[in-house]
Amino acid sequence: MTYFIQQMLNGVCWGSVLAMLGAGYTMTFGIIGLVNFAHGEVFMAGAFAAYFALHVAGLPFGVAAVLGILGAIAIGLLVERIAFRPVRGSGMITLFITSFAASIGIRTLFVMLFTDRAKPFSMPAFLKGAYLIGDLFIFKKTIAVVIVLVVVGALLMYLVKKTKTGIAMRAMSYDSETAQSMGINTERIIIITFIIASALAGVAAIMWGVSYGRIRSSMGMMPVVDAFIASVIGGLGNVFGAIVGGLILGIGETLFVAYLPPDLIGLRTLFVWIVLFIIIIVKPSGLFRANIK
Amino acid sequence: MSTELLLELSEVTAGYGKMPVLHGVSIKCHRGEIVTLLGANGVGKTTTLRTILGQLKPRDGEIKFNGADITRLPPHKTAALGVAHSPEGRNIFGNLTVIENLRAGAHLLKTRKELKEHLDRVYSMFPRLKERRTQIAGSLSGGEQQMLAMGRALMSNPRLMLLDEPSLGLAPQLVKLVADTLTEVNRTGTSVLLVEQNARLALEISRYGYVMEKGAIALEGDAKELSADEQVKKVYLGIA
Repeated sequence: MTYFIQQMLNGVCWGSVLAMLGAGYTMTFGIIGLVNFAHGEVFMAGAFAAYFALHVAGLPFGVAAVLGILGAIAIGLLVERIAFRPVRGSGMITLFITSFAASIGIRTLFVMLFTDRAKPFSMPAFLKGAYLIGDLFIFKKTIAVVIVLVVVGALLMYLVKKTKTGIAMRAMSYDSETAQSMGINTERIIIITFIIASALAGVAAIMWGVSYGRIRSSMGMMPVVDAFIASVIGGLGNVFGAIVGGLILGIGETLFVAYLPPDLIGLRTLFVWIVLFIIIIVKPSGLFRANIK
Repeated sequence: MSTELLLELSEVTAGYGKMPVLHGVSIKCHRGEIVTLLGANGVGKTTTLRTILGQLKPRDGEIKFNGADITRLPPHKTAALGVAHSPEGRNIFGNLTVIENLRAGAHLLKTRKELKEHLDRVYSMFPRLKERRTQIAGSLSGGEQQMLAMGRALMSNPRLMLLDEPSLGLAPQLVKLVADTLTEVNRTGTSVLLVEQNARLALEISRYGYVMEKGAIALEGDAKELSADEQVKKVYLGIA
């Protein structure tokens, strides 16, 4: 039992990263029907921005975290401007291709500039260490990640559910033309959505850095697929669902590996697909009704 | 009645793709008026409204609202000048609750106080909406959806309301409610451009009317005159 709970706790950080990424995914999907594969690179760019602030410029952790989020926003807006705005209104396939191109382009650029070697991402002192409760190790970083997840998740839900902008987003995702005739500036809403989604990717990047202590140019590749599946599990377009989906996947994947014979560790990625197939067969619309879409 | 011009379409030509639908349509709506646009299906009534809203860019002609040229304005800017729309088929946001739909309609309002004020006004016009305020709009009945579409359009306290077929598919009782509400809305200062199949109802509450045929205005005049017109009687009012 202790082992089970310990493994769950270990999976929480990974689950939180997926939750934040998945929430961003689901928002851009809800608003413009876009599956943004470059979201993983936005996440990676955020991690690099924080890394440079922390290790090259020697700035304090809090400042580096803010710069990381700003870095993610900058790349996210750039992707929107270059890869999506010019082809707005074209079919899903076109958006799919441009997002893939943006993803590969940005990743390759980073590999060329910074190689794909892992770079250290050191934790601030206050996040180091762990509490020993009974037989359980509870890392301080895990507690911090969970607090951030809850706070950011709650803010996000408030924004989507209660604010004027959130209502405009959801109205627009349902019927863009009618929303416009209410005076909703849909261009502006799209930009705001990209800013929020990218900021969430930035938060995920900081969570990742704190959890694993290193970053690399290709770090966005795997999480982006998992996060996409997390948002499908939660019901594409549902922010809360994406957060829950991310946690299920992250914790589930960690448990899956924990109980797998060591020889079969390579099957780790299989887990998300198993979950995805079960969801698609049992409840194709996802666990929750879409609240953005 | 004031005769100040609120909306003026001059020789507007518009259409979809290569296909022109409107051929030089001219319509005037004065402040404080209810003006009706009659016509059979497919003569361009909805297209006229879409062109005013900016959802469709006219190829030729000019549209003025409250003295300003809105011919090529994007829809959200036209809305900001005080033009609200209650679309045909209602087009309510089915994923939002009733109150969220109304708040979406109030997007242009600046303060919470204004929001509250207009929400109360709409609730007093349509008490049913207040009862259903936390219900998902997609689950409302057709009549309730029509009330919601009208209520949503009124939330912005518009100068001009464009109404597309508000009585379509409604029970007679509700048609009466719609008509009474329009008269009431009009009394409180909102002008109305009404597109209606139900010519009898439309001419009853309007001051002026236009009859459209094949993308052009075929006939216009005071509502009373139109009601008395032999052709209108025969074709639109069903009186032989």
